[in-house]
Amino acid sequence: MNTSTAESLPLGTTAHYATMHKWLQRALLVCLTVLVLEASFTLPGLLIWFGWPTLSLVQVCDELMKVRYSDDNAQCLVPQPLFIASEGQAYKKSAQDDWGIQPRPRYKRIGYRDLVRFRDERLAREAAAAQHRGQLVPASADTTPAEPASPTH
Amino acid sequence: MSTLAQKPPGSFGGYDAHQDHSAQAQKRADKWMIPGTLLMGTGILGIIGFPLFLWGLRLQVNAAKAGLSVRPVIVTLIGYLVIIDSTLNSAGWMMDLVANHTLINRLITAGWGAVFDGGYFWHYNEIWVGGTGAPGEKAWQISLIMVVFCGRMAAGIGLLQMKRWGQQWLIVFCWMGLIVWIGYNLNMTFYGDVRYANITFPVWGWWIYDIFYITPFLAIPYLHTVNREIFSD
Amino acid sequence: MSDKSVSQQDRRRKRALIVFQVLLYSYLLGLFLVQLHMSHERGW
Repeated sequence: MNTSTAESLPLGTTAHYATMHKWLQRALLVCLTVLVLEASFTLPGLLIWFGWPTLSLVQVCDELMKVRYSDDNAQCLVPQPLFIASEGQAYKKSAQDDWGIQPRPRYKRIGYRDLVRFRDERLAREAAAAQHRGQLVPASADTTPAEPASPTH
Repeated sequence: MSTLAQKPPGSFGGYDAHQDHSAQAQKRADKWMIPGTLLMGTGILGIIGFPLFLWGLRLQVNAAKAGLSVRPVIVTLIGYLVIIDSTLNSAGWMMDLVANHTLINRLITAGWGAVFDGGYFWHYNEIWVGGTGAPGEKAWQISLIMVVFCGRMAAGIGLLQMKRWGQQWLIVFCWMGLIVWIGYNLNMTFYGDVRYANITFPVWGWWIYDIFYITPFLAIPYLHTVNREIFSD
Repeated sequence: MSDKSVSQQDRRRKRALIVFQVLLYSYLLGLFLVQLHMSHERGW
């Protein structure tokens, strides 16, 4: 950039500081650009990382809760009713931590699209457990004939 | 602007007209940059606001090339950037503070926490006010919104108006950035287990994401070395 | 503009600001390296 004449210098910049101001201006423009891009793409980027659109937004929220509290039953109430206790109060007992003066969390790390995987694994687990229960039902149905309908028949 | 004001007023026929044209050109540029900045401050709409801002900046640069006395480009950048930096910080933290049980906040803030900063994931929405439960974090959040970011935004507006108080107060609030960065990072380091254990991108992630918020440190050298005669009382 | 207008004060101010920037960025880099070290040490 031409700094040899006073005319080419921006208002307020003396020749002595011209180079410094030029570099500051470039760095400011870089910061502005990156901040704007980050702010714009954080939410969509996170959602894609987590598992949207395979999972709905509420499902992503649910899966995050299940990871945070290491509890398959944890879920997001949408909408959260006003004036009730913070959502974490209901699940805090199941959270995995090494407690101490500097606590350390023990939840699972969330890699690319892991929430989809966690959900599939949990559904498979639940299906297996249901099937296991289903196999037990006919055996017990014999002893309780008053049962109106058995799901296996 | 005021370097021209040192000429005796009225002595030169074109002077008043030149001042008028300059003010109008500046206003025309700001008309694009202000909505652009408001949109960029919201975060997600920034991608719409950015072209508006750049268009305004282009108008301003062209006006300067045409010989009109408009704001220096670097003053425009500093002014709007400190406003954007403060708005983005405040918006995120206000959501965590007062809208912490909304779906959008549980996705963006707690989700961001799970990836970049465990302080926003670990036992999130568990203390009675909701939001982050990381040691010290709520206190930083409230004090920085109320003191630093509010003040920095006001000073940024003053700077854009080329007011002396704007320059002076922006110096003060940019130096506060030093306390913010040193104190906040030390807190994170001391409670590093909460902040970084078992998140997606420990340490690296936070630094790459957040380092671009160092804008006050880029403003300080300029504000101390600019010829302050260009700011008016 | 001639270079002889550059005062002693300007030169000192410039140096102080450069020292400030260098110190600040070294501090940030240092803290980052400390955290990186802790990260390996503690298995984050």
